[in-house]
Amino acid sequence: MNSPKKRLHALGSAIVGFSLLLAATANVAQAAPPQQSVPREQTLILDIDGGKVITPDLWNPLVPGSRRDHGFHQSMIEPLFILNYMTGKINPWLGESFTPNAKQDVWTLKLNKNAKWNDGKPVTADDVVFTIGELCLKVKELNCHGAMNEWVKGVKKIDAQTVEFTLKNPNPRFQLDYFSVKIWGGINIMPKHIWEGKDPLTFKNYEKGKSPVFSGPYKLVSFNPDGTEFIYDRDDNWWAAKSGFKPLPAPKRLIWTWAGPPENRVALMADKKLDSLMDITKGAFDTLKAKNPNVIAWYKDLPYAVLDPCSRTFELNTTLEPWNDPEIRWALNYAIDRDQIVQIAYEGTTSKSRIPYPMYPPIQRLDKLLESKGMFEKYPIWEHNPKKTMEILEKKGWKKGSDGYYAKGGKQLSMVITTHEAFIEKQRIADVLVEQFQAVGINASHKKEAGQLWGDNFAFGKFEARMGWQMCGSVSEPWATLNTLNAKWIVPVGERANGNQWRWKNEQFSKIVDQIGVLPLGDKRIDDLFVQAMDIYFKELPVIPITQAKKLIPFDTTYWTNWPSDDNKYAPSWTWWQSFYDILVAIKPAKKS
Amino acid sequence: MSGMTRGYVVRRFLMWVLTVWLGATLIFAIPRLAPGDPIAAMVLRMSAQGQIIENSAELIQAWRERFGLDGPWYVQYVNWLRNCMTLDFGYSLTQFPARVWEMIWRALPWTIALLTFAVIITFILGNLIGALLGWRKTPPLLRSLLPLTLTFSSIPPFIFGLLLLFIFAYTLDLFPNQGAYDSRNLQPGLTVEFLASALHHAILPAMAIVLTSMGGWALGMRGMMITTDGEDYMILAQAKGLRTPRLFLRYAVRNALLPQLTALALSLGLIVGGSVLIETYFVYPGVGYLLYYSITNGDYTLMQGIVFILILTTATAVLIIDLLYPLIDPRITFQKR
Repeated sequence: MNSPKKRLHALGSAIVGFSLLLAATANVAQAAPPQQSVPREQTLILDIDGGKVITPDLWNPLVPGSRRDHGFHQSMIEPLFILNYMTGKINPWLGESFTPNAKQDVWTLKLNKNAKWNDGKPVTADDVVFTIGELCLKVKELNCHGAMNEWVKGVKKIDAQTVEFTLKNPNPRFQLDYFSVKIWGGINIMPKHIWEGKDPLTFKNYEKGKSPVFSGPYKLVSFNPDGTEFIYDRDDNWWAAKSGFKPLPAPKRLIWTWAGPPENRVALMADKKLDSLMDITKGAFDTLKAKNPNVIAWYKDLPYAVLDPCSRTFELNTTLEPWNDPEIRWALNYAIDRDQIVQIAYEGTTSKSRIPYPMYPPIQRLDKLLESKGMFEKYPIWEHNPKKTMEILEKKGWKKGSDGYYAKGGKQLSMVITTHEAFIEKQRIADVLVEQFQAVGINASHKKEAGQLWGDNFAFGKFEARMGWQMCGSVSEPWATLNTLNAKWIVPVGERANGNQWRWKNEQFSKIVDQIGVLPLGDKRIDDLFVQAMDIYFKELPVIPITQAKKLIPFDTTYWTNWPSDDNKYAPSWTWWQSFYDILVAIKPAKKS
Repeated sequence: MSGMTRGYVVRRFLMWVLTVWLGATLIFAIPRLAPGDPIAAMVLRMSAQGQIIENSAELIQAWRERFGLDGPWYVQYVNWLRNCMTLDFGYSLTQFPARVWEMIWRALPWTIALLTFAVIITFILGNLIGALLGWRKTPPLLRSLLPLTLTFSSIPPFIFGLLLLFIFAYTLDLFPNQGAYDSRNLQPGLTVEFLASALHHAILPAMAIVLTSMGGWALGMRGMMITTDGEDYMILAQAKGLRTPRLFLRYAVRNALLPQLTALALSLGLIVGGSVLIETYFVYPGVGYLLYYSITNGDYTLMQGIVFILILTTATAVLIIDLLYPLIDPRITFQKR
């Protein structure tokens, strides 16, 4: 090895050899690939909504770094209850019942007596007491700490299947908000015999080659080290099927995969290599339908998409002039043409909003209630009337200059609408709004901000206007959304607010919200209080409802049928929520194998 | 090593230390100057996932303490430099309790393997094309065909990647459309099946990099060849009657290639960043995607760890090239005369 050439060759060979060796022997924690192959017609292949799972060997759902949308909480971690969006009823799962005392500050949970972990041990009150008492309440950094610490004074075992929660304050929504998969997921119970003695913050809950212990109908078989594919096989000993509580899901194997950008994923589904996709555009859906006619969505025709629980809202910082004036906010509302937003920003795949709620059947009832009280005649929220916008502005002393913009005291009427850089849907709405405001003489502009900055600016009150969804909360009852505007959350600009970041203050409104807050769900007095609160809301319009949110989720009926749809609305279409169990036990093979 | 003094090696080594230290200091300072609070963003993400965070200030404080972000900046700086020396960058901000080094280590082998494969081919092909374009005796037909190979250079690699996917993966079904190996049936290991699968999966992403980036190398090499062609030693070699292949390879290419080697070392840091979209479109595991993830998700600990590794590897590659120069080019010596 004397000549430089030989040395260079040796160096090059060493680099290549080293790379291959590294690639081949990389110490990646990966479950062994499945031993048995399962035919395609018995395999359900789903899209991972949130992209690549960066730490695929993390199966601890309690830490902030955990991902659950890759089949983890849709096939292994079972919820206690699942809220049915269509009926507003809370259905049992691991939990049989969860009932409050008259004061709503003591809740008694009864578990399903047949529930078992997938290692055969029963799911008992000890597991619940351990999860809430030893993990959630004691370890500040866990996901569940914030909510449980806010409400739970103590938790105790009554018998093997019964647990009593004593709350710090009455909370009629304790079950709904935290244990019923109201939005995305809920607080989950961990098996005490696995977690006891472990540091819950650093415990990964994964041992190479073994499935983590949970109670769901599937066990983890394999995942690739780059976190793009997870394989689960059906556990034929699943407690719910054995006890007759639920049928055994038909798919023998579940594969959750992330195939990269939307173009790749649509191509895979067109090729029948994916049974469902996360939200896609209408253009992509049309292409997909053209290539694979077996693809369906929630509706057969436009708007195709299913409703998302967080309706889209145009939000103003009500501490800033002139947006602190309700009349000016109404002037903005008259400038908004929601039909145009639906057509341009959504290509017709959603509908416009007149209340800041998602229009599921229980909310539709409330909308009808407001209509019956003449609320939409009194407050014509959908009226697009630029003339009225200009009248209000001129009445308030604003004058249109030669540049076409209103000004007062030498100050032009301008507005910066901020959006989260990652959410194209809201950016499209903001772009249309900018045009509509410009058309009436308001110099509006749109600014995209990094997600972290956008969130911070909102919390600290450092924004003027934004296109968001932060009144999200209610899906079956009115309180959660109203409570986002409660004055109790208000802190001065510059301090972090946990709610009412718009800093809209109305004592009367907040009083009504607090009154609703302590009434049991379904209490007859809620309707009247809701109408009173909405009367104040409409009069002041601190946050302007724009559109319903949509999720266009295609399902392929080539291999699996009985997908949820408008004709068969047994569950929402969300494959990335913990409520997916409802779909899993309902879908049927298209062909007999 | 012949042609090199101890003083030169020490000076170069000290320069390497200074470069790495400056880099480490910058990547400590820049995230702290950026607007926004990464810990608050992490807590906000918890609420975005359906969790209602009622006492966010308390949670933010608890996490700040856990990540050592509650102390004064100079304490954090000393801790950071210590972490750099031990390559232990602590926990990821967004993937807690995953450790940064563990995440980098999981992605790095694939990046090294793919990029080494792609960069070596790009370097060889690009320089060969450039050398032939700049060589007067190249047959005219070949000379007119060669520029066609450079047309891909004007296409961004990820667009070209999409085209390759459409043709070779979705239409012809010759190559897989995603991943680094057949993870449904194989486990990583030193087996023929695994290595064959890894190679099969690497071909399309590597082609996307090679075909779109060799043009740059070719143009640089062509210019160097034209300069070299007029040198006295070339005229002398021709006068000596040396055969054309020997003239081309040993006299022209060898001399023209030297600046390209330095450029190769410097480009190491850039190619990781440049491979982000390739990794995304081919769903190929690697540090590029991890870096992109850390930036878009405000995972400063992960971002700092990756950027430090990039600085370290690039500075080390340049150091190695500098030390190897007297071996590659006998005209260069660092010995005192």
